[in-house]
Amino acid sequence: MTTDTASAEVGERQQPGAVADPRTRNVLIVGVGGQGVIMISKVLALLCQTQGMQVKQSEVHGMAKRGGVVFSHVRYGAQVWSPTIPMGEADVLIAMEWAEGVRWLPFLRPESGVFIADTQQVIPPFACRNRQFGADMAYATETPAEIIGRVSDGFALDAGRMAEELGNARAGNTILLGTLSATLDFPLDDWLSVLNQFVPKGTEEINRQAFLLGRDWVEKARQDPAGPAGLAPELAPPPIQPDIDVRLEITAEWCKSCDICVKLCPERCLELDEQQIVRLKDPDACTGCRICEWLCPDFAIAVHHDNLAEANA
Amino acid sequence: MTETNPAGFEIRDYLRLDLMPHFMCPGCGHGIALRALLWAVHELGIEKDELAIVSGIGCSGRVGGYIDANTYHVTHGRPLAFATGLKLARPDLKVIVITGDGDCLAIGGNHLIHACRRNLDLTCLMLNNEVYGMTGGQVSPTTAETRLTTTTPAGNTEPAFDACQLAEAAGAGLVGREVTMQTPALRNLIKQGLEYPGFSFLEVISDCTEIYGRKNDLGESAEMVLSQKSDMRPEAYGNVADQPFRPNRLLTGVLARNERPEYGETYRRHADGVANGGKAGA
Repeated sequence: MTTDTASAEVGERQQPGAVADPRTRNVLIVGVGGQGVIMISKVLALLCQTQGMQVKQSEVHGMAKRGGVVFSHVRYGAQVWSPTIPMGEADVLIAMEWAEGVRWLPFLRPESGVFIADTQQVIPPFACRNRQFGADMAYATETPAEIIGRVSDGFALDAGRMAEELGNARAGNTILLGTLSATLDFPLDDWLSVLNQFVPKGTEEINRQAFLLGRDWVEKARQDPAGPAGLAPELAPPPIQPDIDVRLEITAEWCKSCDICVKLCPERCLELDEQQIVRLKDPDACTGCRICEWLCPDFAIAVHHDNLAEANA
Repeated sequence: MTETNPAGFEIRDYLRLDLMPHFMCPGCGHGIALRALLWAVHELGIEKDELAIVSGIGCSGRVGGYIDANTYHVTHGRPLAFATGLKLARPDLKVIVITGDGDCLAIGGNHLIHACRRNLDLTCLMLNNEVYGMTGGQVSPTTAETRLTTTTPAGNTEPAFDACQLAEAAGAGLVGREVTMQTPALRNLIKQGLEYPGFSFLEVISDCTEIYGRKNDLGESAEMVLSQKSDMRPEAYGNVADQPFRPNRLLTGVLARNERPEYGETYRRHADGVANGGKAGA
């Protein structure tokens, strides 16, 4: 993991009180690798610099490539001393991934913090550790409505889908940046000119549209909290797992005791019996992953996923 | 992982059940390659009557015989030559050639380079187990250096062929390589080969456990299958400058494409021209 700290002062050292609001403001941006967390924080940091403020930014992006956690602290104000945000002091928490947002909630200022979350779900492998067919996932179960009710000011939007409808699924972070801009008091033109410096060439227009879309979304949600824009979208339902019974069909007369299935079964649920023919030792452990079926050179194992619902119908 | 569902693929539907169990040794990778081939055929919805399998001599040659389709077991090294004739006469058939490393590169090396040169719509599956297994384990053109075989009792001194580079240089339309351990990936590669309108040369890294593996102390069947994993590198790293830690650099996936005219079409156009009283090429 890497921690980068950037601090900058524009022009002469700003005297306390030069900025209208002397208090240090804290923005915490969280997400998983590849979503554009760092880009949001860079735009925000440069914007604050252009407004004559001191900015400190600190991030962790180590495991990003594998969909791991990425977070970035941005603190700005007349004088910023520490680059990281203490727990319970983030004025704005932007989550690009739903479970990450829920996980970082303790950093949000309880009485006045603004919570902005994308309801997009990036389910990590650890949430699927139970490999049994149809097993529950260990993913955040909190619904957007539940969390919005818990924070002082919260917005949950499906930025991923909005960006897709706009024509580029990768503009999701810019939509969230737009929603962020509606909660901070910086001029819109400054936002757009800084944004233009960070987006890849050729995507300026779509990013401008995405930014304005996110900004408008907050305006609409504020005017009409019960309207379609203000309603927290439902999380995508978990994929429906059919009621499946895994059955191994072993053709004993074809088995040549090569042992590949026994040694390569991830659940170690096969064994060779006294005749050196494969046998299912532990039927409960078998997840029906088909590795034995694929790797049996003699076609002696067939994995069947019997649909119980169909069988009972 | 939607791929885990083989969508109703039952390998028994494609096998000659009266010949099963097959003659191959325990742990032989050729059986896995056969499954991947039949799986690809199933997923592409190719009818058995439209399918013709031509195979040469050797363990790999025997693989074709277990397929319940039009199969053709021909002379040593010549499956590509037979398949060329078959495809030119019956362009409606899907012709698959199953051949081995010795059959394809040594005895039939000449036919391979000319099949690549013509770019006729064939799919050539070369099952590479690095040895002549059927005849007792003699050294083959793909046997790695220092390996023990019955004809190299002190270790092989010849460098091995990279069949994919050979096929690419000779002009094959699509060149790919996959290991038997990655059965779904192998199926995908074979599907690409079958769909490609031209000559596709697919090298399948297979294991000879009983003869080659035992002689070289490569472990039992499961260990040999697993070692494919450590020998393998995805194609994505092919052009990376810092070559990683693998001593045995084995690229997999689609390795090369040569966009060239398919020979069967050219041939028929010229044949029509001649039939109408003109000259070839007119």
